[in-house]
Amino acid sequence: MNVQQSFARRGFLRGALATAVLAPMGGALASCASGGTTTTGPTGTVSDANPFGVPDNSTLDAVIFKGGYGIDYVDFAGEAYEKNHPGTTAKIAPSTAISAELQPRFAGGNPPDLVDNSGAQSIGISTILAQLEDLQSVVDAKNLEGTPIKDTLYEGVLAPGTFDGKLVAINYVLTLFGVWYSSTLFEANGWTPPKTWDEAFELGEKAKAKGKYLFLWGKEAASYYLELALSSAIKEGGDEVRVALENLKEDSWKHPALTKVFEALDKHVKAGHFKPGGSGTAFTAAQAQWSNNQDALLYPSGSWIENEMKDQTKADFKMMGAPVPTVTTTPKMPYEALHSGGGEPFIVPSQAKNKAGGKELLRIMLSKDAAANFAKTKLAPTVVKGTVPADGFGSTALVSQTKMLEAAGKNVFNWQFLDLYGMNKDVLVVWNAFLDGKSNAANLANDMQKMSDKIRNDSSIKKVEIK
Amino acid sequence: MTLPPATVSARDGSLTAAAARGRRKPTLDRISFMAVFLGIPLAIYLLFVIWPFLQAFYYSLTDWSGFSNTSNFVGLDNYARIFTDDLFLKALGNNIILLIVVPLVTVILSLVLATLVTVGGSSKGQIKGLKNSSFYRVVSFFPYTIPAVAIGIMWGQIYDPSGGLLNGVLNAVGLNFKDYAWLGNASTAMWCSIFVIIWGFVGFYMVLFIAGIKGIPSEIFEAARIDGAGRFRTAVSITIPMIRDNIQTAYVYLGIFALDAFVYMASLFPNAGGPENTTLVMSQQLFFTAFQRGQFGMATAMGVVLAVATLIFAGLVFLVNKLTGGSEGGRL
Repeated sequence: MNVQQSFARRGFLRGALATAVLAPMGGALASCASGGTTTTGPTGTVSDANPFGVPDNSTLDAVIFKGGYGIDYVDFAGEAYEKNHPGTTAKIAPSTAISAELQPRFAGGNPPDLVDNSGAQSIGISTILAQLEDLQSVVDAKNLEGTPIKDTLYEGVLAPGTFDGKLVAINYVLTLFGVWYSSTLFEANGWTPPKTWDEAFELGEKAKAKGKYLFLWGKEAASYYLELALSSAIKEGGDEVRVALENLKEDSWKHPALTKVFEALDKHVKAGHFKPGGSGTAFTAAQAQWSNNQDALLYPSGSWIENEMKDQTKADFKMMGAPVPTVTTTPKMPYEALHSGGGEPFIVPSQAKNKAGGKELLRIMLSKDAAANFAKTKLAPTVVKGTVPADGFGSTALVSQTKMLEAAGKNVFNWQFLDLYGMNKDVLVVWNAFLDGKSNAANLANDMQKMSDKIRNDSSIKKVEIK
Repeated sequence: MTLPPATVSARDGSLTAAAARGRRKPTLDRISFMAVFLGIPLAIYLLFVIWPFLQAFYYSLTDWSGFSNTSNFVGLDNYARIFTDDLFLKALGNNIILLIVVPLVTVILSLVLATLVTVGGSSKGQIKGLKNSSFYRVVSFFPYTIPAVAIGIMWGQIYDPSGGLLNGVLNAVGLNFKDYAWLGNASTAMWCSIFVIIWGFVGFYMVLFIAGIKGIPSEIFEAARIDGAGRFRTAVSITIPMIRDNIQTAYVYLGIFALDAFVYMASLFPNAGGPENTTLVMSQQLFFTAFQRGQFGMATAMGVVLAVATLIFAGLVFLVNKLTGGSEGGRL
């Protein structure tokens, strides 16, 4: 090859590269992160049967998290939607990675009309708060049977979706937290679920005598014990404990109620009431050790546990739930008080093309047929009251849930900060170490406090005040 | 390529003719050739490689949340923040441990295996590997054919404290490892993960080195043997220098992998950074920051740091190879 020619070619390449690199740069910096603008699609006539004005012949675009509940319950509502609104199409798409899948659509300004923002990869709600529709109009609307939706819901179910006074998410599934056990096993041994931590310790000793453990855990679900501790501490110290934690207050993790609960848990850890090795066990395997092998007596979890472990539960287990133990016999909230949250938060993005459609589908889901269908097929109650019959479709866990809810009455509480600030990953590390006996109550409180302080002092994280 | 015309012009004694040929008038043929074979690949490269790089760098200077279409320019704030963040520094440290251990052990182990199955056989007659070497070759390649996620899940089960294979075997031989959580203890989690990663990679690099060794003429090995070189001496003085470029390539690839390591760590330790964050890697921290915390600006800054670290590492490997007398430039 001729030397000069080769140089000429290299020069050409270099020049081309340089111009190509430089040319779009100016444009890039100017147009960076630019997306679509808010669109208001065509609207139909607003009527009682069509409170949000869904236009005929429109398409609805919903993305639903496909987890333990599947998406067929939304398909069920989608069919009713298409029937009620002539010519419309309800496109209901499943997703297992909501955040990664919808991030480009949010950034690009063309999000779906309805999203079930759930699962381990859900979108941190605080990052999209400003881009969500206020759903108050949905709960104010009448359901298909003509009753205002807000009158049909359980107590406190809208709280988890309310941020800065704006209802941005409607949690569809009612989730309550407690400790779960086999009533068969408990009856056979004459045990009762512990009401205080002292009783829990006694039960732990009895379990030991039988060669069993009181608790066990799995590495991805060590945070369930944080849930247990928080519920117990909030019942003991009242709402002030929760509000301080929610707002990341200084020394909020050193509240006496929390200290006592942490110490009680630590006593269990040190007494060997936890099955060792949880920090290296997959949570599904750990849960099967409880529901199938019965290595441990109690498991703190949400009410999804029965459905989740359906295939791995010992025959005649007869799962029941109980409220978490309290520190003293005179807590500020009664023993029956419950941490009741919601699962499957549905959101309607403000930039969606067919917001009316998104709200309408949600309205249909919150009406009687769809809610009853969900309860029946998933063995879990929705936030709509009165969809579970007295026999709980033959599920003892479902019956005990209804009883726990009735007993709790207005004493239900919930917290948002863990999800709001995406703390789960760091929580797991701290709690695995604690349950493993590598830490103690004081260190645990310090670690949690550090985590909370770090978020509070990080000016790049938007804080949401919670009441 | 086009030697004849150049020599012709030289014979004419006219250098200007040669220069004129180089700057020949653009014809349609020439332009279309440029457009198809240079323009299009270049455009694709710029659009899908260089352009995203630049965009990423720009985003790392903003507080973009990832989900909105607004962001503010914050300068180097994100970089200042991640370099004072103890978790990111911890992750960086873990990546460095991986970077030191994984390539070194994998390369040595796969070199030893490759030598055994190619030239480690009987010292009489033809140069050959161990008996049944093709069988070992196939078997050791197996792990590489399993997807990394499956490897992570499988080893998660093997390391399981109560029902796992490892504790089962250890207990069966009389050691008391009942309920010992290999992946749950800060002292063992990282080493257990490194073992899994190496287990998954050795087979592939072994095959790479086998190909390299097969390219060495067997006369060289025979000559060495006649001169009285043993197997170890042959490996150190002949095999390694002759496949130096392959080793360098393997080292760089493994290093790039060790700086990532996302799939293995995420499947061995779902949703978290392992006990006391001992197995947290930068790419995991990046993922959490982007998708759970909604801080894409900061996450891209982490990505830029990761890219720079990778470049520095590759540069170091080339430098070391050159300083120790390797071939010019090497090849990738």
